[in-house]
Amino acid sequence: MQNNHHKERLYKILVIGDLGVGKTSIIKRYVHHNFSPNYRATIGVDFALKVLNWDQETVRLQLWDIAGQERFGNMTRVYYREAMGAFIVFDVTRPASFEAVTKWKEDLDSKLTLANGKNVATVLLANKCDQGRDVLTNNGIKMEQFCLENGFVGWYETSAKENINIDEAANCLVKHIIANENDMLQSEVLDTISPQLEKDKGGTCSSCFRSQ
Amino acid sequence: KFSSGSSFTGFIVSHLLHSGEDIPLIVLRQRETKWLEMLNNWDKWMAKKHKKIKERCQKGIPPSLRGRAWLYLTGGKVKLEQNRGKFQELDSLPGDPKWVDIIERDLHRQFPFHEMFAARGGHGQQDLFRVLKAYSLYRPEEGYCQAQAPVAALLLMHMPAEDAFWVLIQICEKYLPGYYSTGLEAIQLDGEILNALLRRVSSTAHRHLKKHKLEPILYMTEWFMCAFSRTLAWSSVLRVWDMFLCEGVKIIFKVGLVLLKCTLGTQEKLKTCQGSYETMERLRGIPSQYMQESFLVNEVRSPFYCFGSTVTAQSVPLGSVINDPSELGMHRK
Repeated sequence: MQNNHHKERLYKILVIGDLGVGKTSIIKRYVHHNFSPNYRATIGVDFALKVLNWDQETVRLQLWDIAGQERFGNMTRVYYREAMGAFIVFDVTRPASFEAVTKWKEDLDSKLTLANGKNVATVLLANKCDQGRDVLTNNGIKMEQFCLENGFVGWYETSAKENINIDEAANCLVKHIIANENDMLQSEVLDTISPQLEKDKGGTCSSCFRSQ
Repeated sequence: KFSSGSSFTGFIVSHLLHSGEDIPLIVLRQRETKWLEMLNNWDKWMAKKHKKIKERCQKGIPPSLRGRAWLYLTGGKVKLEQNRGKFQELDSLPGDPKWVDIIERDLHRQFPFHEMFAARGGHGQQDLFRVLKAYSLYRPEEGYCQAQAPVAALLLMHMPAEDAFWVLIQICEKYLPGYYSTGLEAIQLDGEILNALLRRVSSTAHRHLKKHKLEPILYMTEWFMCAFSRTLAWSSVLRVWDMFLCEGVKIIFKVGLVLLKCTLGTQEKLKTCQGSYETMERLRGIPSQYMQESFLVNEVRSPFYCFGSTVTAQSVPLGSVINDPSELGMHRK
């Protein structure tokens, strides 16, 4: 194996949740390392790209920032397509935005599944935690239970303003995405004949070259 | 040198302002005189010389008369006169808490770098609240759509709240009917129409978008729902709106087609945005030369982007494309 063999992974990640919970702020903090109270409301969809070094690999995350107002829900099927993971965000100071979390999760799971039929990895973000913890997130056990029951791979109290837990939450999501991907590759290997490309044999037949 | 180039725009951050056309002051004064004459005899002009009004809107409405012209062009003035006291009545009502809550959370998120809207709870934000809340009461079945806020804010930069309210009504009902309604079907339909028109205008761009499965609603939602108010250089926004409020939604289609063709119209241009994400990014950050005022207005006016009623009507069910220029702006009585 040559040591300059460098694998690159690219994942589309959705950031969804009710309007005004801080989706855009979380993305800006994560990608541009800053915070402003002056972000415009997202209409439709917006994007940002984050590049990570992950175990000697490069991981590119396409973060899709999706408008939170309910009526844009009609368009989410198109926005969700081919995503590998998602953050669902709520605002700890607004209980109604937490109540909407299960609605977003159902919307996501009903419109998007991985090639193996499983749901995409989803991390729950309790944002604006700098503005006080609410009764709910105070109870970690209850939150764990909620995640388990609703199919979240984890949850984090975050603050885009104070830069709390955003990197950690993203790492958690990436870890699960990679695990899902490896799972899928594994199961593919089991039921397909994979041509082996070995140096000493040399690729004599052009049809044996497959994209890595 | 006397020119209008330094005219007040209200924006605190100057990078938002690509330099607009520099109109000599003497030309501006002449235009103002012509516009005043038109506005003072509006019914006559609308009935007999609509073509002339259209030409003058294409040249750009003088900034000092823009607000009044928009109120007249849209028929907002007639609506206001027919419904005296209506805005005040709605303004005095508390509003549905469901909409009030959402509107309030959007107030500080509209043109935050414009001096009128920068201050929390300032006059601009207060008026914005009044206009949007009044609309949610006027059309309770529609309530409030987030894309209405930048439209209303842009109007408020040019006119008082009551006028802005009636122009907003006209935009929502006559210019972009259904765009803000619950199901958002109209915007999706117009996305398909845009795509069909793009195929005629630039098969290269059309093929590229199709290849990467980039459906119209991925890139045109904000363009169309906000009538480009958040996309273009500021001076171009105003020029596009001058034409849009005179000629209707076809201007929005034309601007969209110009931007798509200029950005993705040749193989050379596609070299730098080969993937779907790169393409999306390019369409989110269109090179500034294509959004520059005189270039954009010239392109929009070019016959290349004229389809005529026959071309569009036969190929697509035109939900909201207005083909008959008399259909808009003819709100005499």
